[in-house]
Amino acid sequence: MVSNKLSSSVPTDREVVLGILNDSEDALNKLYTGYFPMILQFILNNNGDEDDAKDVYQEGIIVLYNKIKGGNFELSSKLKTYIYSVCRRIWLKKLSQQSKKTSNISDFEDVMAVEVDLEHHEEKDKQFDKMQDALLHLGEPCKTIIQDFYINNLSMQDICEKFGYTNTDNAKTQKYKCLQRLKKLFFQV
Amino acid sequence: MRNEIELEGIIEDYLNGKLSEAERTAFEQLRKSDPIVDHKVVAHKVFLESFGEYAQVLDLKAKMDRAHAQIDVETLTEELRPHPSFIINMWRKNKAAIAVAASFILLTVVTVYSIQQNTKQIGSVELMSREMAKIKIDQSSLIRIIKAKTTPNAPKNTKPANFGGTGFALTANGYLLTNLHVVDGADSVYVQDNKGDSYKAKVVRTDSQYDLAILKIIDKSFSPLSTLPYRLKQSGIGMGEIVYTLGFPKDDAVFGEGYVSSRSGYNGDTTQYQVSIPVNPGNSGGPLLDHQGNIIGVISAKEKQVDGATFAIKSKYIQEALNSIPNDSLGKKVAFNKRNSLQGLSRNKQVEKIQDYVFMIKVYK
Repeated sequence: MVSNKLSSSVPTDREVVLGILNDSEDALNKLYTGYFPMILQFILNNNGDEDDAKDVYQEGIIVLYNKIKGGNFELSSKLKTYIYSVCRRIWLKKLSQQSKKTSNISDFEDVMAVEVDLEHHEEKDKQFDKMQDALLHLGEPCKTIIQDFYINNLSMQDICEKFGYTNTDNAKTQKYKCLQRLKKLFFQV
Repeated sequence: MRNEIELEGIIEDYLNGKLSEAERTAFEQLRKSDPIVDHKVVAHKVFLESFGEYAQVLDLKAKMDRAHAQIDVETLTEELRPHPSFIINMWRKNKAAIAVAASFILLTVVTVYSIQQNTKQIGSVELMSREMAKIKIDQSSLIRIIKAKTTPNAPKNTKPANFGGTGFALTANGYLLTNLHVVDGADSVYVQDNKGDSYKAKVVRTDSQYDLAILKIIDKSFSPLSTLPYRLKQSGIGMGEIVYTLGFPKDDAVFGEGYVSSRSGYNGDTTQYQVSIPVNPGNSGGPLLDHQGNIIGVISAKEKQVDGATFAIKSKYIQEALNSIPNDSLGKKVAFNKRNSLQGLSRNKQVEKIQDYVFMIKVYK
């Protein structure tokens, strides 16, 4: 039933890897929708709900994404097994953090060792949380200015217009101040 | 303040590789000479990397959220939720294990079935009468012929017998028991004792149901035997019982020992035992004795394709065959000795005594 659905809509492992390396949103879409039911089933049958499934699954995909992007991607087993194993590990950790029992886990797929990748991921995840916290504490309009400049790649001119600064120098000064505060927050935490 | 902003702009350009060659060399010089600038460069680099990763993850999450929006999570959740029914739950969780178990059971059933098919003894039974013609007998039969000539009343054997088997004495006055298939269709039957003397015999009774035949020595030169040493065991015998036989697969008596391996014979025939004992053509009709010297059966056949599967007609049916014979046709009731003089004797002493009562049956067709 489920496996039929999976095999019909899931792209091949090679397609996924190439798609991710080429930043193809379509490939990511296929990957995401392809394996989500597998993880949803796992979480639902192990004391979780669909929101848990979403969080865990997205984290799992991030791990996979970073691994592929990292370039040292040699998949010794099927992508499906990798995703399942990563998500399983993440969920088990969450369960134990909530001090729920993790002994009687219902498995649906083969499991492989992914501890090393996950340690690496946890490190990065910490950095992500730190940055998120720092941005949160930064407040508006600094947060938007920084995001516009560094994420959305807006020019100083655009920012100047968007935020109604009289000239780009003012905007630059503002951005500098914001960035200094953000750095302070980021390195402090 | 102004300188700081400019410195950061330069640092950023430097890290992004936007500086010209000359500017870069100049900046690197400044970085070397001023540790504060150097520190700022490093810190900014770390920050930019972290921020880049943050942006990347954020971007990925946004993409995934869009993908997630396409999934009908509610329906899927309904479908994949642990089922209230224990059995369906079990099935979902242990699909693989159940599949393995099921295929194992299937395999076992198939294997057992095929073994049963195989064990239905397909090997045909080879009757143990010996086709003498196929066996070169020269010297020993010559001796017998010479001996026969010295006895005036002896039969005129001008050619050797073409079939042979084994028989044993039922009474002291010359009644013998053998297999029906040994003497079936015989023109004439001769029996030869341990000493090499041949006597003419005739078939007085046959029992095709149990494959038994009773012969009577009709030769005038035959002198009655002394009292039979063995007796017919009436009750059955168990598996694993050590048994032995004496027969004539060649022109001299051959002793063979084995054990009862099954209480039923070919294809589950309950009138027979299966005995693991080496036998050869010519052993047919030979007595099968237990360690006390009781006759427990008559060797009749062996399975062709299987080694050590010999079949012997149970003594109970010998008795039945005997009982079914009207007294007058045998002249005198055939009865075994109630006493068993072999009991307690060692094996070779038993054989020594028995061999005078076991005969080679020679059949001319």
